[in-house]
Amino acid sequence: MIPASRTPVQWRVPPVPVLLTAVVLIVCAEAGGASMVRFKLELTRWARNAMLARPAVHGLLGVRDVDERVLDEALVKFDAGLRLFHLHAEGMGLVIVAMTTVAATLASSPASRRPIIALLTVGGAGYPLGYLLWSGLIPYYGLERGKTIAEWLVWIPFGGATIVALWWLAGLVALRLWHH
Amino acid sequence: MSPSGALLLVLAAVAPAFAHHVGAYVPTDNEITTNFKQIKFSVQAGKFDVALRFFETGPLRADMRARAGSLPRGLEAGLSAALAAGDAAEVERRLMVFFAALARDLALDAERRTADPQLSHDARAAIGARFLEAIWRYYNLVDFAVAQRDDKTSVAVRLAFDEAAGYAKGTAAPAGLREPLARIAQVLSVLIESSTPARRGS
Repeated sequence: MIPASRTPVQWRVPPVPVLLTAVVLIVCAEAGGASMVRFKLELTRWARNAMLARPAVHGLLGVRDVDERVLDEALVKFDAGLRLFHLHAEGMGLVIVAMTTVAATLASSPASRRPIIALLTVGGAGYPLGYLLWSGLIPYYGLERGKTIAEWLVWIPFGGATIVALWWLAGLVALRLWHH
Repeated sequence: MSPSGALLLVLAAVAPAFAHHVGAYVPTDNEITTNFKQIKFSVQAGKFDVALRFFETGPLRADMRARAGSLPRGLEAGLSAALAAGDAAEVERRLMVFFAALARDLALDAERRTADPQLSHDARAAIGARFLEAIWRYYNLVDFAVAQRDDKTSVAVRLAFDEAAGYAKGTAAPAGLREPLARIAQVLSVLIESSTPARRGS
């Protein structure tokens, strides 16, 4: 039960561009999920043909019994990348809305509030795109090289930004609790 | 807090960003191994008419025909006849010969390819590993049947396979792969020879 003497928190809405980013991200997640189902066959066919056109990249040997396992794994991961984009874009959209609301409400100093909101928005919106990028890179660069590119271009910088912002916000909230 | 301390703290906080969930891959059956299991389980259930239908319409038979040149003569016709006659032991023996032949051909191909001096150490090891995976996928299906008939052959194939897998994974020269691969091919060739109808007089 909240003590009567404590002032209730007045929740503040994050800046509209932040909310728009989150909503667009969720829209992309839903559109991506629907497209995966609608164009599953076309996407698989495209990825398979792109891989067959680059046998050296995927280590294809021209032996059916060996190559089919390689192609199967790459296609499963290609599909997993699309699914993980759908999942993370939905989740991170909600994380952006929830966490920037907390930051807008509890981070009283603009010096910390603004960077936290910026990091959460940019990091949260960028991170899921790494999965889309990874899927797109698999047919051209293979599983591991595609993953490395997606890691250094997207997952590590954007995921890192989100994690830093969340720790920063957690510290601020803990500090606020301590002072009260 | 000092700037270097703050930097360390940030780096520690960001460290989890280096790990990403990218899904897991579990190898699945291909059309031949799937068809093999359909036939095998139908035979085990005593449903020979179902097994015969799976064989006549499935990819296993088509593959047998495509590889007829490297298989013992009459293998396909004999398997078809065994299914029609409801002879489970003969069906198992012929399927064993077929999969042993598939594994042997892959071992021979792997031996040839891993000997290519133009390929790098890593490339040869990677090729070896991929072939071993394909060999095991087929041999694993009939290892029990092989062991029931000739446990020495089963042990020899397994030992050679483990040795080859060690070369493919390790840092040792991939040239070492050739010997166990050749042994797999040789042991399986003997198994096929000794199990062919002509030799058995069946």
